[in-house]
Amino acid sequence: MTNHKLNTPEDLNRLRDLLAKQRENGRTIITVCAGTGCLACGSEPVTAAFRKAIKEAGLEDKVEIRTTGCHGFCERGPLVVLRPEGTFYQRVKPADTKAIVEQTIKNGQLVKKLLYRDPQTKEIIEKEEDIPFYRKQMRLVFGKNGYMDPTSINDYIALGGYQALAKALLTMTPEQTIDEVSKSGLRGRGGGGYPAGRKWASCRRAKGEPKYVICNADEGDPGAFMDRSLLEGNPHAVIEGMIIGAYAIGSCNGYVYVRNEYPLAVKNLNIAIAAAREHGLLGDNIFGSGFHFDIDVSRGGGAFVCGESTALMASLEGKIGEPRAKYIHTIDAGLWDKPSNLNNVETWANIPLIIEKGADWYSSIGTAGSKGTKVFALTGRVNNTGLVEVPMGITLREILYDIGGGVPRGKRFKAVQTGGPSGGTLIVETRDSKVHDSLVAHGDIKKEDEVVSLLDLPVDFDELTKVGSMMGSGGMIVMDQDSCMVDVAKYFLNFLQEESCGKCLPCREGLRIMLEILTRISDGKGEMKDIDTLEEISQVMIDTSLCQLGGSAPNPVLSTIRYFRQEYIAHIVEKRCPAGVCKALVSHAIDETCTGCHICHSACPTNAIYGETKTLHIIDQEKCIQCGACYQLCKFDSVKRVKRGEGDRIQRIAKEKWQPLAKKQPAAAA
Amino acid sequence: MAQVSITIDGQSIEVEEGSYVLQAAEQLGIRIPTLCYYAHMAPYAACRICVVEAWDGKGWTKIVTACNYPVWDGLQIFTDTPRVISARRLNLEMLLSRCAPAPVLQQLMDELGITEPRWGIGTDTCIMCGLCVRMCDEVVGAHALSFSNRGIDREVSTPFKLESEDCILCGACARYCPTGHIRMTDRDNPILHSELILGPNAAISIPFRQAIPNVPRIDPDYCIHMATDGCMLCSKVCPKECINYEEKDEFEELEIGAVIVATGFQDFDPTPMHPFGYGKYPNVLSALEFEQMNNAASPTGGRILMENGEEPRSIAILHCIGSRDENQHKYCSRVCCMYALKFAHLVKEKTNAEVYQLYIDMRTFGKGYEEFYQRILTEGVNVIRGKGAEIVPALPEQSGEGNLLVRCEDTLIGKFREIPVDMVILCTALEARSDAEDIARKFNISTGADGWFIEAHPKLAPVSTTTEGVFLAGACQGPKDIPDSVAQGTAAAAHAIRLCNMGEIMMDAAYAEIQEEFCSGCRICNGLCPYNAITFEEEKKVSEINPALCKACGTCVAACPSGAIKARHFTDEQIYAQIEGILAS
Amino acid sequence: MSLPMEARNELEQVITTIVDRYQAKPTALIMALQDIQRQYNYLPMEALRMVAKKMSLPVAQLYGVATFFKAFSLTPKGKNHICVCTGTACHVRQASVIVDNLARALGIEPGETTPDGEISFETVNCLGACALGPLLTLNGTYHGNMTVPKLNKILDKLRAKEPVEEIAEEVE
Repeated sequence: MTNHKLNTPEDLNRLRDLLAKQRENGRTIITVCAGTGCLACGSEPVTAAFRKAIKEAGLEDKVEIRTTGCHGFCERGPLVVLRPEGTFYQRVKPADTKAIVEQTIKNGQLVKKLLYRDPQTKEIIEKEEDIPFYRKQMRLVFGKNGYMDPTSINDYIALGGYQALAKALLTMTPEQTIDEVSKSGLRGRGGGGYPAGRKWASCRRAKGEPKYVICNADEGDPGAFMDRSLLEGNPHAVIEGMIIGAYAIGSCNGYVYVRNEYPLAVKNLNIAIAAAREHGLLGDNIFGSGFHFDIDVSRGGGAFVCGESTALMASLEGKIGEPRAKYIHTIDAGLWDKPSNLNNVETWANIPLIIEKGADWYSSIGTAGSKGTKVFALTGRVNNTGLVEVPMGITLREILYDIGGGVPRGKRFKAVQTGGPSGGTLIVETRDSKVHDSLVAHGDIKKEDEVVSLLDLPVDFDELTKVGSMMGSGGMIVMDQDSCMVDVAKYFLNFLQEESCGKCLPCREGLRIMLEILTRISDGKGEMKDIDTLEEISQVMIDTSLCQLGGSAPNPVLSTIRYFRQEYIAHIVEKRCPAGVCKALVSHAIDETCTGCHICHSACPTNAIYGETKTLHIIDQEKCIQCGACYQLCKFDSVKRVKRGEGDRIQRIAKEKWQPLAKKQPAAAA
Repeated sequence: MAQVSITIDGQSIEVEEGSYVLQAAEQLGIRIPTLCYYAHMAPYAACRICVVEAWDGKGWTKIVTACNYPVWDGLQIFTDTPRVISARRLNLEMLLSRCAPAPVLQQLMDELGITEPRWGIGTDTCIMCGLCVRMCDEVVGAHALSFSNRGIDREVSTPFKLESEDCILCGACARYCPTGHIRMTDRDNPILHSELILGPNAAISIPFRQAIPNVPRIDPDYCIHMATDGCMLCSKVCPKECINYEEKDEFEELEIGAVIVATGFQDFDPTPMHPFGYGKYPNVLSALEFEQMNNAASPTGGRILMENGEEPRSIAILHCIGSRDENQHKYCSRVCCMYALKFAHLVKEKTNAEVYQLYIDMRTFGKGYEEFYQRILTEGVNVIRGKGAEIVPALPEQSGEGNLLVRCEDTLIGKFREIPVDMVILCTALEARSDAEDIARKFNISTGADGWFIEAHPKLAPVSTTTEGVFLAGACQGPKDIPDSVAQGTAAAAHAIRLCNMGEIMMDAAYAEIQEEFCSGCRICNGLCPYNAITFEEEKKVSEINPALCKACGTCVAACPSGAIKARHFTDEQIYAQIEGILAS
Repeated sequence: MSLPMEARNELEQVITTIVDRYQAKPTALIMALQDIQRQYNYLPMEALRMVAKKMSLPVAQLYGVATFFKAFSLTPKGKNHICVCTGTACHVRQASVIVDNLARALGIEPGETTPDGEISFETVNCLGACALGPLLTLNGTYHGNMTVPKLNKILDKLRAKEPVEEIAEEVE
């Protein structure tokens, strides 16, 4: 067995040069995205099909097939990018691989049907970097994902990995390392935004041995999968960051606490750690510097609250995930009451960049208060769902529309939820008249006041906090006119009630009571004083909850009331759900745009839909249980969600107006 | 540790840096309500009732929990701002929506002026304060309880909701539960007559009112510290730091002139007398057990109850169990008839039960005793002259009147009877203690065939023994009741004091002597003396007899191979002379 | 629950192997329990007692951990396990329709198992494949862009004990 140990930085450099030589032979690399999203779309059969096709074409020497981590454009998976050209193929099926091999690889011709077509300009785009989704991004942390096999440490080294580590260990003191990170202005990417350098300095100063370095990979926010994709796609970046951090702080023990629902991330992380150990990058005397450090992977058991640092540490100690008061910081007394430095995955992944390229370079990106880039998970009612990495200071409008491609099917944008269920707030189009009216009713502004649209604010820790909003850890969930804000608040409270640890009174009882109130409201049994009660309970929860799960649980409620007060009032006074979501207040009915495609018929669980193919279908209002299956399926938007009791009227009009048409197009294809 | 200066509600105080607000407030006499706080455990800060407003005097203000917020120099605390009060009120209202208003919650309601909680009143008795779990984990160290599930489903339970194998039954969780959600109950039947204990049953207590010294002592069988190395709460609260867990029994040597042996008696154990079913059937009690149950300090509070916690409908009192018995003790235990009549009287006073008194003879010898007997007869007690023969379970058709059946011969009417009763009291004999022989040996006195210590003269010297300086008092000399024991005790004390005043004792003229010049130092006589009167003098290498202890039995005289021992007034020559005298006549 | 001697010894061996795998470290407790659950399809009470003993932890603590974390079940899960994602992105894409219809079709609530032990289903608060929402996993395999007709097809196949066509590969 060959000894892979890299005892000195020179060994590292030698290996990198060797790899460069080996790879610099004009080979084409077929990178197939094997992140969880694309795997779920079936990228593994695609990889297998490629192997077969390459073998059959006898091109094994000239072509390398490399499965990589997440490329980010999850909406279009399975993704295949040919390098070094950058040819971008989307929605690739196993059957397509033969065409790609024959046409593109052998003959340099593009397979047009697999290329990206811009929905606005309708033009076909060949290269990844030209695609609007990618154009405005700055993929510093994420970029390597598309080029490397996460299970290959050689790929990482070939791309320059572990140089930063060598630099820190051998040419910088721990204090200099901390200084560099402080100067860079890096702030915690887990949502807190606390300056990383300052945290490291405090931990270094703290008294107690041993010190612990922890990576919080308990990404619990639904709709956020940035950390997951980083750990799956480039675990070495996180590892390298942790080693550098441990060196700066004076710690020899590191833990990565990964959420239970991320088995691939755990797998790739373990492979990376084993490879790092084999190469002497973890363990004793790294690079001959005299510094020892190793990492243990630990897993969560399915508890959102364990994303909170003290709960995470309790879980690491083998106990239940109960948080404790943070009057004494975990920097001073954390894991087993020892000084512990906890940072988010993305924060750690930024460290090698900062050390390698320098704080000056890093601080040139972003805004005055928020440096560097941020990875966001753009999901929900948006055309281009996926992971985007943008420089701080870009506006939400650019993210939503230029990168995200706007709201699908021609629907109207309503809100973006950032920051997850706890602490998450809405960012809305404040110039929208409905929102404006709500703010006036809420007492936030006066009627004649002009407001800057929140969508035009730069994405920046402080700018958003100033207006009572927040950037959060990176989850961005877009909602359109079909989302009911009362339902959204109810959804978040339900989520938090299930995840509350139950230790402190205000969170345990407050969530329950607020949920009862919201359920009553969405059932049409609300009263006006309920809004005041919700605000009262919210204030006490914010003031007296033990941890931030309870402390920021009221945020979704408060921000929906603030920006969409009339929706609440409509539910309470008119017993109407404007968005057509709350079941008790809604009737489903089919209007005259029905094409008789008959798809809804089999979906209905109570057989409430009548109609023959190509005739107008009708929903029996007595039998309908408002489950929404037909609404979800109808491609023609013929199923309408109207105020409870209005269904018969709609269907009466439909009967009068309906005409069988020769051909009908589905509305606004995605 | 450094001292810092803080103010609470405008009052200043200097406290240790890093200590908590709650303690500082206590020192100032300012009350901050709490629900989950206990002084000798780490603060848990779950109830959020102790919230106060912290201010730095400039712009920063924050709501914090007083029980675990560490103080810093210049900190200003306000305990009753509107923000604080409304937080406490709302939290309490929310808690009440789920929990019944236990006294501790009712008190808070009164303090905060809540009369109509907005979301109603619930029925849960657990307020999730965690005191039980933390007590078991941190103080006791048994780890028998924990929190399970989470959120609104969170609850305190034992593992798998089964009986906890780690529970040491200390009762700390029940003691500290503020609402009574956790209780200690007896496992099987509510009453186990054989385990009723009088007086305090804590691990640390003053054993009884007259204990000397009159201070608490730790019972190592029940002390949690002895079991788990944890707790030690007593030493934390003792202001004089008197608790010493390492203290062991000490042995002291004293020189004594007079000894009064008052070791008392032992209650006869009727278990070997199978016909009576003691230990086999429930509700068959010994007299002492019945006596204990009747005491106001007993767990029943003095009520007469069967094992299932109900009052008996009928009781049989059986005299002479173990006394006047050819197979057990032949003697009469003297006191049983009177206490049996007392029992009958107590039953009649406390319950509506029918009483059956089964006796052989009524021995009512003392002052007022016969009159008491006559009174009992008027109270409707069924006196049956005939010793109880057998106790068996009643037949199902008889269970309407009683669960046990007493079989006896009613000699006055000449018939065998079977009487259904709910409870049977066995008037057990008094017997000598099992260690009486040991004590006799130690103090050089004798026991009789019946086990009681032998007095010097049955009529004329009832408190002395044949050993000078050792006196008897009380039942150890023979069964007797309280007035007689007191009289005897006084007499023995008088004897002892007289002895001590005289400073010398009168010895019998007859005792044995060792002639030193003939003693070979063989030491055969040492072990032979039944009165331990002979010791070996190491320096002179000869044996010595203590004339005060010697009873002139003559054993050593006969045994000495050198003929070195002579009994005074019983020399060989004197004995020969006596023999010759007898033979001559 | 008292196991027969043979079963007890077998369980003891499995537990010892698993605990040794993690050197009985408390930081690996959750991982050890996950391994046990993967083997037996739930956490048997005897297993938890053995783990407590081997790791020198109180049984009460183990019980607390096993009931606190959603990943664990103290009762056997179904032969087939369905996880429906109810993360925000999927909720916005009407995951509740899938949850409601699944509950109705199986006659059980999320977190429960059908009486015949065939199917259990639960909700998860984000599987991280938001582009495919609403989605569910069946025994670890992802099925995205879920609709009620698709769901019914899956259930039909399960009931007929036929293999369900995979849209994606297994991740674990």
